Amino acid sequence: MGAIDKTNTTDRETWRSWIWRQQISGEFGTGFRGGPSLSIMGDTSQSLSDYDLPHLIMTYTALLSLAILRDGFSQLDRSGLIKFLHASQLPDGSFSPVPGSTEADIRPLYCAFSICHMLNDWSGIDVRAAISYIQRCRTYEGGYSQSPDQEASGGTTYCAIAALALLPLAIRSTTALTPFELKQTLRWLALMQEPTDAGGFKGRTEKTADACYSFWCGATLENLNAGHLVDPDANARFISSCQFKYGGIAKAPNHPPDPLHTYMSLASLAIYPPTGVAEPDAWVLQKMDPALNASRDTAEWAREKIRATE
Amino acid sequence: MSTSRIPETYIPYAERPDWADVTPIPQHDSLDPLVPIHYTPEYKDATDYFRGVVQAGERSERVLDLTEYIISLNPSHYSVWQYRYSTLIALKSDLAAELKLMNTIAAENLKSYQVWHHRRLLLTQLRSAEGELDFIAAALEEDKKNYHTWAYRQWVLAEFNDDEMWAGELGLIEKLLDKDVRNNSAWSHRFFIVWDSGIRKGEEDRETVTRRELAYTKEMISLAPNNASAWNYLRGVLERTATPLSSLEAFVAPYARAHSHISGFITPASNETEGVFIDLENPLPSESASLPCPLAIEFLADIWEEKGGEEGAKKASEYFASLAEKYDPMRKRYWEFRQKEAQAPHPVTVSA
Repeated sequence: MGAIDKTNTTDRETWRSWIWRQQISGEFGTGFRGGPSLSIMGDTSQSLSDYDLPHLIMTYTALLSLAILRDGFSQLDRSGLIKFLHASQLPDGSFSPVPGSTEADIRPLYCAFSICHMLNDWSGIDVRAAISYIQRCRTYEGGYSQSPDQEASGGTTYCAIAALALLPLAIRSTTALTPFELKQTLRWLALMQEPTDAGGFKGRTEKTADACYSFWCGATLENLNAGHLVDPDANARFISSCQFKYGGIAKAPNHPPDPLHTYMSLASLAIYPPTGVAEPDAWVLQKMDPALNASRDTAEWAREKIRATE
Repeated sequence: MSTSRIPETYIPYAERPDWADVTPIPQHDSLDPLVPIHYTPEYKDATDYFRGVVQAGERSERVLDLTEYIISLNPSHYSVWQYRYSTLIALKSDLAAELKLMNTIAAENLKSYQVWHHRRLLLTQLRSAEGELDFIAAALEEDKKNYHTWAYRQWVLAEFNDDEMWAGELGLIEKLLDKDVRNNSAWSHRFFIVWDSGIRKGEEDRETVTRRELAYTKEMISLAPNNASAWNYLRGVLERTATPLSSLEAFVAPYARAHSHISGFITPASNETEGVFIDLENPLPSESASLPCPLAIEFLADIWEEKGGEEGAKKASEYFASLAEKYDPMRKRYWEFRQKEAQAPHPVTVSA
């Protein structure tokens, strides 16, 4: 969000090198693990245990973090990554976070789509099967669930719509929502902004507002080119009420703040800056790429540097 | 194994004689970890020994004790769960006993993905779901909208696909909705049970099922009109059965008006014998309901938009305008968008 400019070059280099040490290779290809907690033989990039595996969600996170740190990605094992994506997909089109696990749903699917998008290479995955899985997560309410037949939720609706938005243009034109589906989804999203909760967003019907949904639902509306349906001032008012006295933003008023809700809130404000703030400078956040969930500059950098060459 | 084997007084693994043959492996966190995690000494000690047994490929009863202990400290450590499961399989352990142990752990960690996933793996091996739906119902008592618990219930139903198991679902849903009619997870489960999981015995006559569902939902709306969960379910049923929204106009209209405008409103002084018509198919809102209900106004607007033509566009537009201006002004931008759409219907372009 721009705060990276406030860090020094040495720190940034140290962080980059730590993240690269989490890139591991094995029979399932190459990806990033969350950390070295199961690194048996120390700091090599070889995975020496069946339990020290790359993780799809961590790989998405690592690639974006390296892009934020403006890494050159010369160390990225692109063909290994494509193999890892392939190994993580299940026959029903969904993805498991770790190869070989059956714990699969739409969240790692979104991460896989993001990685393919950054690589500009979709050859590792069965795109049709994945799209059909997304469609099976569609619910009667118009939102999407984590796996088929579950309840519509803000975070998983973000995953579904953002995944579709990341597809190459040629495919995207064939996967657009029908007019009825679009209408139903926009309605569901608009109803998530909740006047009785000061204008914050909730994540499911008849629940209460939570700051992270200001991003999940707000960004989804933006991904559907319908950001104009959001009331930015009401959204900002709710987020402002979630601020903690000594810094940070919580999920709701009078809750303890945490990094996730702080980031999600700022990302939402970057998409929906409130109108009529006396000191506009206070609200200037970098423009967001709502589908990759990164600043536009970072998203551009990622697309340019991660792209599989040729 | 059905009861926890974590000793009451904690002795570090490093000081246990029966663990002396294992070489602990400290986390190799190198020079500068990005975000140093301040592990407790207990967690550090136990995971050092965990790395040790993984390195050695050990499968033993004590590995089960160790993994149970680490899980009690960090129930989301997926590698530890994974290693525990493969150890259980390797040792041909009593999985029914493991399931019993999990009952306690699950009750304390309803929000951990791993807890539920481990149960799935166990039931898949055991090929029996005896008592499982009751266990889940008890977990739902604790946390009625828990996403993992509901997902797990649906998995159990689909995986074991037993008529008797399916048969109790509507009863459970109605019990939960009696307690909280706004429990959207229960409504969503109802949609799965009635419409999305195949047609079971006794439910073949879909017209009867549709009538039953519409009657139930209307009844729930009459109890709490400003409940989006029930309205969404109602819309879902209409869409699924290709029924026009306008078929419910008579039911919806009283909810879109302020109280004084409702004709035939039941008060203690007026009852059937005094000539007030009670329409059983279209229950009226209660006296205490907060009316008009924006969700009902929206429904009427959609009915008119569906009817189309000049009159349809005009009426729909008036209803949307009343939401934007008066009844739901925070969503003004959305209602104005709907108003424009109603006036000049055209497909919206979309990037996704």
